[in-house]
Amino acid sequence: MGKYNEVVQNIVRGMLRAGLVEEVLAFARGLNESDIVPLFITDQQDVDRIVTISYYPSSLAKLVAEYRDKDKKIGMVVRSCDARAMVELAKRQQLNLENFYLVGIECYGVVKNRDKGHEIYIFSKEMKIDGELKPLDEGILSPNCRRCEYPIPTMADVSCRIEQSGETLVTANTEKGRKILSAANIPIEEGHQSDVTAMKERAARWQDKEFGELKEMESKERLSYWLSQFDKCIKCYGCRNSCPLCYCEDCYLGPERLLIQREEIPPQRLFHITRLIHVGDSCLNCGQCEATCPMEIPISKLYHMLYKELSGIFKYESGLDIDMLPPVSAITDEDLVKPGVDLD
Amino acid sequence: MNNDFEPKLLGFLCNWCSYAGADLAGVSRFQYPPNIRVIRVMCSARVDPVYVMKAFLSGVDGVFIGGCHPGECHYVKGNYYARRRAVMLRELLEVIGLEPERLKLEWVSASEGTIFAEVVKDFTQTIRSLGPNPLKSEGI
Repeated sequence: MGKYNEVVQNIVRGMLRAGLVEEVLAFARGLNESDIVPLFITDQQDVDRIVTISYYPSSLAKLVAEYRDKDKKIGMVVRSCDARAMVELAKRQQLNLENFYLVGIECYGVVKNRDKGHEIYIFSKEMKIDGELKPLDEGILSPNCRRCEYPIPTMADVSCRIEQSGETLVTANTEKGRKILSAANIPIEEGHQSDVTAMKERAARWQDKEFGELKEMESKERLSYWLSQFDKCIKCYGCRNSCPLCYCEDCYLGPERLLIQREEIPPQRLFHITRLIHVGDSCLNCGQCEATCPMEIPISKLYHMLYKELSGIFKYESGLDIDMLPPVSAITDEDLVKPGVDLD
Repeated sequence: MNNDFEPKLLGFLCNWCSYAGADLAGVSRFQYPPNIRVIRVMCSARVDPVYVMKAFLSGVDGVFIGGCHPGECHYVKGNYYARRRAVMLRELLEVIGLEPERLKLEWVSASEGTIFAEVVKDFTQTIRSLGPNPLKSEGI
């Protein structure tokens, strides 16, 4: 299936050859051919291992923010949730976007569980498994992807759209993007429009369904639903460790902070509520928390639901604009003239 | 509704305005319900949303945050932060299934002893009609 990955690989190859970046982080085949792992690529020959199939097992933004040296020039092959995570982390002074060259892949959802040995590509209404085109089965998508409204990585420097035929259309979104493409000798397809209406419709439908179910409940019923979910927790810290927005080195939930008791399982409900308070205002709905959770607690649904409510009130969309600060931790000039205890 | 229900309220009062307002209510002998327990904080922005949720999870029926009027904050902008957090917290309460009315933010200045007494009276009444914190019956 070289055709599907080829253009992205060529872009990466061009970036490395021209010395724009020292290394590239992307999902690629691991030592075992059927594994897909995040890989830091410095060597031209490893570029062939990069894959673009609809599977995205962890947040690359989290990886670079945590482990990399701050001044290195790094290229990344990301989907829009991760490109948005990069913007959110840059807002929080965790990384400098100047040092990153983001190659975005247009994404209509990724699968929740991957069948090893099968190649799956998801398009807005169809999916292609091992070269065979079928109508899209929404059941195989990750639950957060069904609710996702951001198929196009406009915040990345370059966005690549993989067509059903395997051809890839490439657009540069920024000056850096044009630099990348000229280094890789790839023609820019200006102005191709992607049809996002099907995706938006799907997102609205699933949000209505999943949030609607909860909103229809009596508040007491909803409370016991969430408490019973929280009580499944085994305090593995997986949600915190996989969340691209949880960047604190000294975490509030760590045992040394004495907020959450040691050796207590399930943890106090405050564990989940604290996480909800900390990331709820700018949750990216990347779904990493839920995908990691061994107890299958639908946490991304909870965070996304609060985020949707808050984004209406604060007129805030996370991950799109680096100058738009997180609404709960930054006040604006309009706040100063409002006299009431509410914002409206 | 159980008539024996006496709400337990927690108040976070800012040192410069609301706490002084509560003090004034006390020395002027304005009557207000004894249901509120007060914690003095240096600024309403000192109230971490986690504290509020910890209070609810510990069985408090209502949380009151008192801050200075906009423009009068001792630390210039603290009360604006408190306001944004309160807006967020009310939505959060709604999402997880607690009544958002259980959290109240009000501006009370140091000279507003009567207003403090009035606010506490109203808030106690609201919580009394809402009934006990449902988390209590869920087991805390």
